[in-house]
Amino acid sequence: MEPVAGRRWQKVLYERQPFPDNYVDQRFLEELQKNVHARQYRYQAVVFQSGVVAQQLCSVCVFVVTWWYMDAGMLSPQGLFGAALVSSLLGYVLFDAVDGGAGRWESGRTRWADLKSTLVFTAFTYGFSPVLKTLTESISTDTIYAMSALMLLGHLIFFDYGANAAIVSSTLSLNMAIFASVCLASRLPRSLHAFVMVTFAMQIFALWPMLQKKLKAQTPRCYVGVTVLFALAALAGLATISSVAAVLFTSLLLTICGLCPYCLIRLQLLKDNIHGPWDEAEIKEDLSRFLM
Amino acid sequence: MQCQIQGPSLDGFLILAALMGCAYQCTVMKDCSRTQGREFAAKLQAHHPSLQRLQIIRNLLNASLTRVYLLAVTSVIVQVSCSSSITAMVKQYLSEVQRVTKVNVSVLGSWSNSKQEKEENLSKFLEDLGTIFSHEPWIQISKEGDSKFWSCSTLQKLANNPKEEEVILIYYDQRKVMLSHLHPPLDTATSTDHEADDASKLSAIFHTVAKSKILFMTDRYDDGPIKLTHWQSDGVEASIIVELMKQASVPACMLLTFLLSLVSGICRSRVLKFWPLSFLWSKLSTCEQLGHRLQHLQVISSSKKAQTQTQLMRKANIFVSLLIDVALGILLMSWLYRKNRIGHLADTLIPAADHVAEELQDLLQWLMGAPAGLKMNRALDQVLGRFFLYHIHLWISYIHLMSPFIEMILWYVGLSACLGLTVALCILSDIIALLTFHIYCFYVYGARLYCLKIYGLSSLWRLFRGKKWNVLRQRVDSCSYDLDQLFIGTLLFTILLFLLPTTALYYLVFTLLRLLVVIVQGLIHLLMDLIDSLPLYSILLRLCRSYRLAAGVKFRVLEQQDGKPLRLLMQINPLSYGSVVQMYRLPTYSCYPKDSWTSLCKKLFLGELIYPWKHKGEKQD
Repeated sequence: MEPVAGRRWQKVLYERQPFPDNYVDQRFLEELQKNVHARQYRYQAVVFQSGVVAQQLCSVCVFVVTWWYMDAGMLSPQGLFGAALVSSLLGYVLFDAVDGGAGRWESGRTRWADLKSTLVFTAFTYGFSPVLKTLTESISTDTIYAMSALMLLGHLIFFDYGANAAIVSSTLSLNMAIFASVCLASRLPRSLHAFVMVTFAMQIFALWPMLQKKLKAQTPRCYVGVTVLFALAALAGLATISSVAAVLFTSLLLTICGLCPYCLIRLQLLKDNIHGPWDEAEIKEDLSRFLM
Repeated sequence: MQCQIQGPSLDGFLILAALMGCAYQCTVMKDCSRTQGREFAAKLQAHHPSLQRLQIIRNLLNASLTRVYLLAVTSVIVQVSCSSSITAMVKQYLSEVQRVTKVNVSVLGSWSNSKQEKEENLSKFLEDLGTIFSHEPWIQISKEGDSKFWSCSTLQKLANNPKEEEVILIYYDQRKVMLSHLHPPLDTATSTDHEADDASKLSAIFHTVAKSKILFMTDRYDDGPIKLTHWQSDGVEASIIVELMKQASVPACMLLTFLLSLVSGICRSRVLKFWPLSFLWSKLSTCEQLGHRLQHLQVISSSKKAQTQTQLMRKANIFVSLLIDVALGILLMSWLYRKNRIGHLADTLIPAADHVAEELQDLLQWLMGAPAGLKMNRALDQVLGRFFLYHIHLWISYIHLMSPFIEMILWYVGLSACLGLTVALCILSDIIALLTFHIYCFYVYGARLYCLKIYGLSSLWRLFRGKKWNVLRQRVDSCSYDLDQLFIGTLLFTILLFLLPTTALYYLVFTLLRLLVVIVQGLIHLLMDLIDSLPLYSILLRLCRSYRLAAGVKFRVLEQQDGKPLRLLMQINPLSYGSVVQMYRLPTYSCYPKDSWTSLCKKLFLGELIYPWKHKGEKQD
């Protein structure tokens, strides 16, 4: 509509103007801004961050492979126990050495407390291992496999990869992993196998991610190297069992580490957020209470 | 006796009931307005639905009646002869009666029954009487010859509109009305004031008639110019035996009271209140029943006379109930002790207990296998099964140990049946409880184990999700656990989860057994309650002398003649059996289910111990 009396239109309603209330002039949407908060990702950084996901996948793979070997009788429990013990000690020393004792001093956790919890846990598991062994005797194998698979999947979904999302629950993921390990361990021949399996599960699902997080924070290059080595070890182990599985696993890893970052960066271009001098309805509530 | 109902603004309707001979008395009700009378008649019919022929009255009232009077007075018909000094003598006589019996009497009118045609001076005399004994309105009832039909007229000296009034005569059996007790309808609380007002008028009639009892108990029949016609002593249920019993009851009551105080003193002594004994007494239902009966005896043997009808009925009910109970108990005892039935019972008891134990063992073996195809954890199964089997073994040994003494114990225990059938039933229930004690033990073990498991599972499930129960806020909050807590928690959760079906099955089986025993005991207690609380005396009364318990009245139209007043017969409408039982039920220490169905199911699901029957007076835990 043309201005009638030549007056400039003002964007106010408390003055009587010769324009209708819903009139806008050619300065409409001048203050529109697009994609103000869009982040610019770099491919390298994204790939680096996706290493965490790959790490967890490899952990799961290694665990399953180990169980398979124990089940087939190719790996003796004593051997596994020895290897796990050695690597635990190494990792323990590394944990403190990496940041020069700063983390330990901050958290205030003494070595004595560590030793105590280790002893408690070991004693408990060893004591209950006969019960664990016969726990699922009457349940069919397929059910056990299905349950374990579901639990490990849940572990992967709820794991804390560093993102601040509502679905993250590190407790739940750890518990699911332990549950899966108990289910699988109850299928092994003797109670010593069960004990060793559960201990190994604890190390690989609880202690290993802690170490990795610290390495990532302190020495990124070392971290990348360790991740790659770990992935290769997992692949090798999987390949000895089934080559199809190995191929699938490789493709999965490559997808996660290579394809997904690329997609993320490409899709950023299609973003279309508009901002302007209007009120945006933002949901400030913490919705995590709806997820358990 | 003067007993006019001073109702608010009642003027206009007269239903006059006349006397016919010695066996009937007349009752007239106070005047009320025509519409009110109609409403009253309608409400009377509504309250007491068996009031028949009230329609007649209603129709009459709808017709061109001007005034119908309702008076409530019981009148004594004083036979006088026509003499001039009769008024002074009548007045003196009335004051004497009033002094002796403390009942207000006054002259309402005249009643003549002349064998021949009307005499002039007789009617003149009657009118003179009316001027001397001033009563408003003055009623004159007369009958000629042998006709059945009466004529009735009223004289309103101070009436505003001297119109002719319609009169209705109502006959009723005075003895029955005097002895009966009117029960108000059970929903008087919900009726309106007007209805309650009308209903109270009917009770006023009954009350008035009952008050005149004292007049007719004074059995004097003078040979003077003034003679009383009153209720003769035919029909009084008096006999020598009853009189003797009444005389002997007072010292008997005193003796009984003394004995009872002794017994209750012993029961309340400190010796019996020590912990194991008091626990035992509270668990045995025999002691409760004995205490209850003791209370009843105390009620009967109190030397105070019953004030109200309800108290009298209650005393009578308790007495009859006790009598029947003891009679049945003695009958049972004589049947038991004949032909050595006790011995037979004792002989079958041990094999029965053995049989039960064997059945239980079979059940446990079945559970230890694969019951119903369910997958049980074998190790736990074996442990629980062996534990319970050992228990049964102990129980069987105990029973076999006791077997020589069973007969003697039963013989002595059976003697206590002479205290009443209810006591015998109580003892039976207690014996069942003792014999199935092992089932109770198993139930408690299974329930505790299951409850513990459910509790642990729910707590560990919260740990699994990373949450914790906040006791302060009574809600579930998130919590960050330590690593070792998480491990051990998850391990325990897994173990408990996989062992749940086994425990649940054992719990289910033993709970069902326990519920079975509880149901059997409950049925016995129900029977006992029935015997305790049934008001036998009231039911017998309703059966034999149904006029004693009146719910209302009904009317029947008698033969009519044109020109003469309408004649109605009022009969008592007795209370129905259901309301008799409801009204006169004896209170018991009844046991009723403590929990509703939903809370019972919830308790069963959670594994809490259930005590389904709660006794009145038990503390709520």
